Amino acid sequence: MVTLRIYGVECYYGSVKVLENVSFSIGSGELVGLLGPNGSGKTTLLKTISGTLKPKVGAVYLDEAEIYGMKSREVAKNIAVVPQNTGTDFDFTALDVVLMGRHPHISRFKFESEKDLAIARSAMELTNTWHLAERHINELSGGERQRVIIARALAQQPKVLLLDEPTTHLDINNQLEIMDMLKGLCSEKGLIVLAVFHDFNLASRYCDSVILLNNGKIVSVGNLDEVLTSENIRKVFHVDAVVKKHTLTGSLYVIPISQKRAETSINKKFRVHVICGAGTGTQLMKTLIEEGYDVTAGVIHVLDTDYETAQLLKLPVISEAPFSPITEENYRANLEMISKARAVVLTAVPFGYSNLRNLEAAKEALELGIPTFIIDDVPIKQRDFTMGKAEKFLSELEGKGAVYVRSQSQLLSLLCKLREKLKQKEASVRVH
Amino acid sequence: MYSQKSDVETRYFKRFVKWASIIFFLSVCLLFSMTLASAVGPMPVSVENALGIIVHQVPILGNLVSGQWTPLEENVIVQLRFPRVLSAALAGVALSTAGVVFQGIFRNPMADPYVLGVASGAGFGALLVILFGVGFSSLGLFYAIPFMAFIGAIFTLLLVYTIARTNSGIPILRLLLAGIAVSSFFSSIISLMIAMAGEGMHVAFNWLFGGFPVNRWEYVNVAAPIILLCLVAIYAFARDLNVMLLGEEQAEQLGVEVETMKKRLLILSSLITAVAVSMSGIVGFVGLIVPHMMRILIGPDHRILIPSSALAGASLLVLCDAAARTILRPIVLPTGIVTAMLGAPFFIYLLMKSRKITV
Repeated sequence: MVTLRIYGVECYYGSVKVLENVSFSIGSGELVGLLGPNGSGKTTLLKTISGTLKPKVGAVYLDEAEIYGMKSREVAKNIAVVPQNTGTDFDFTALDVVLMGRHPHISRFKFESEKDLAIARSAMELTNTWHLAERHINELSGGERQRVIIARALAQQPKVLLLDEPTTHLDINNQLEIMDMLKGLCSEKGLIVLAVFHDFNLASRYCDSVILLNNGKIVSVGNLDEVLTSENIRKVFHVDAVVKKHTLTGSLYVIPISQKRAETSINKKFRVHVICGAGTGTQLMKTLIEEGYDVTAGVIHVLDTDYETAQLLKLPVISEAPFSPITEENYRANLEMISKARAVVLTAVPFGYSNLRNLEAAKEALELGIPTFIIDDVPIKQRDFTMGKAEKFLSELEGKGAVYVRSQSQLLSLLCKLREKLKQKEASVRVH
Repeated sequence: MYSQKSDVETRYFKRFVKWASIIFFLSVCLLFSMTLASAVGPMPVSVENALGIIVHQVPILGNLVSGQWTPLEENVIVQLRFPRVLSAALAGVALSTAGVVFQGIFRNPMADPYVLGVASGAGFGALLVILFGVGFSSLGLFYAIPFMAFIGAIFTLLLVYTIARTNSGIPILRLLLAGIAVSSFFSSIISLMIAMAGEGMHVAFNWLFGGFPVNRWEYVNVAAPIILLCLVAIYAFARDLNVMLLGEEQAEQLGVEVETMKKRLLILSSLITAVAVSMSGIVGFVGLIVPHMMRILIGPDHRILIPSSALAGASLLVLCDAAARTILRPIVLPTGIVTAMLGAPFFIYLLMKSRKITV
């Protein structure tokens, strides 16, 4: 059992502090993810741990041994690094490069022994690169080269493996292959792995714990569900994200939502109520949010895709039990919500008896003088399952001034005009 | 624990056998060039006789050959030509090895003892002794010249290093530019010193262009151990040089103490450059072309690159020196002219071929 301990590390580039009071420890067999925005100090932290960069304050211990007191050779026998940029410009073969991982183990006047070659071979077999052994390193693809460099690190037979964005240039298959391999090394050989990731989902799927770094400081460290929260992600990356547990893999997954929301606050306070269902409102709600509108929705049945979306986007939504007709109580609540909106949008939702009252609500909206838009990219005849009742309702709505639109973009431009008009009106009211 | 050796592994170990045969082949080439170079000159000696005379000087082995040569021939070869050939060979070894080391450390195909200013600095140091060391005994001169050349080389290296240094390390481009600037400066100082030398001008001029004016055994006896010891020491770091080709940071992470290693290698290669320069003057391009030729022929691994460059560099310089002595006989050309005539076109070819490689 080995433990890597980092105590109060502080690093400077010139007079700029890049790491501030960073402390944590990792035990044998743990795969730890290092997350954080560009320039947050992730690479610097890896350099510090590998001994290439000596911190001004603080220390790094591998068990009882302080690594800055060790010779490079000793450090290299214990800690291996897979750097971010592995471009090379000379023609060593892949095997030559992997054998360089044996450098700290071979004494000065000796050549590689059969044992060294066997170790290099098993490292290359593990990373699925043995077939590339005699190819020149500069002829390999990015993914192949990355795996060769990982093999080189493994040939060092380290106790700690540090990887700087090991999967960034790889396709999805290679990513999973490498992550599975790293996971296997942790559990079987008790390796300590610390890797920088930009992909939250990959990190959450494989890491035992994560460290979130921002401006050289640890924001949060620990279990995935403690660190990977939408609050932390907003705080560090300035991006709204939805964090959920995936039903299939059981791991957390993070869906970033466009960061436009925060920027375009002009549309804030302009509330649009969406009447939707059966997935017809999913795209629309997301787009409206991105355009900066304040969005509400209802009535939607629980388990409906649109309901899930509204939940993910954290929208106020009036919901109804699955497959049940809309109750009087929920109908009222929906009307209450509609009355606070500046516009209502009715998507091309299929109508049955359970959601027919939503059309009634739209009629109420028109009677309250709230502009109502009907998207009918699917003709009502194809989605009316109420023996013509819904169709009749719709034509009634048209008679009361509802506007038909054919597409989402048309809707957006109409909403935009409406907003301008209301703004001017408000302005003139204020003048008077 | 480990599975059966595969073809790849077998082939990998066969490479060491291949290396041994390369060394053997190049050694034979060197011996042949040295014999040939000893044979040519104003008084021709047959190649067999030249070889016989040379082998005859070796203890034990020498008894096996019987002499069919005249005492005059033996005298010419042993006292005049062979020391000159040997010092050309040693200079070739030193300059080529220094070239390999400089190119390896700086990961730059254009680096060599001349571009970095080390050779000019050494030349300046050596010239100080040649022109002003009147008070020295002849043996004193043999030590003083390489010593001052070494001081000049190290001083230049430190100067270039200091000029090139920035807050975040030593960028290669800055290093080369600083090297070129310092090199030009010392070259012009050398020219100035020669122009003002008066009586010593001819000696200095001949020396400067690699004319090997000092061709006595004493000098070889001083230079040979220094150069060969440095060569062995440099060879001990061959694997570190390989790893350093990956870049300094990765080398450090693979257990190479990069800064210490750089210092050691720079001092060793400056020392052999200094010894070579004090013996042969400023012989350009050997340190540049030989490592490149060898890299193209046998690959980048320093464990074979260093010895094969040393042997090939020795052969090349021995042949160039012989050519310089014979092409325009009775005029003896400075060796530097022949190497530059060979080297410059090669340098141009290299520039054109490696257009995509930038600093």
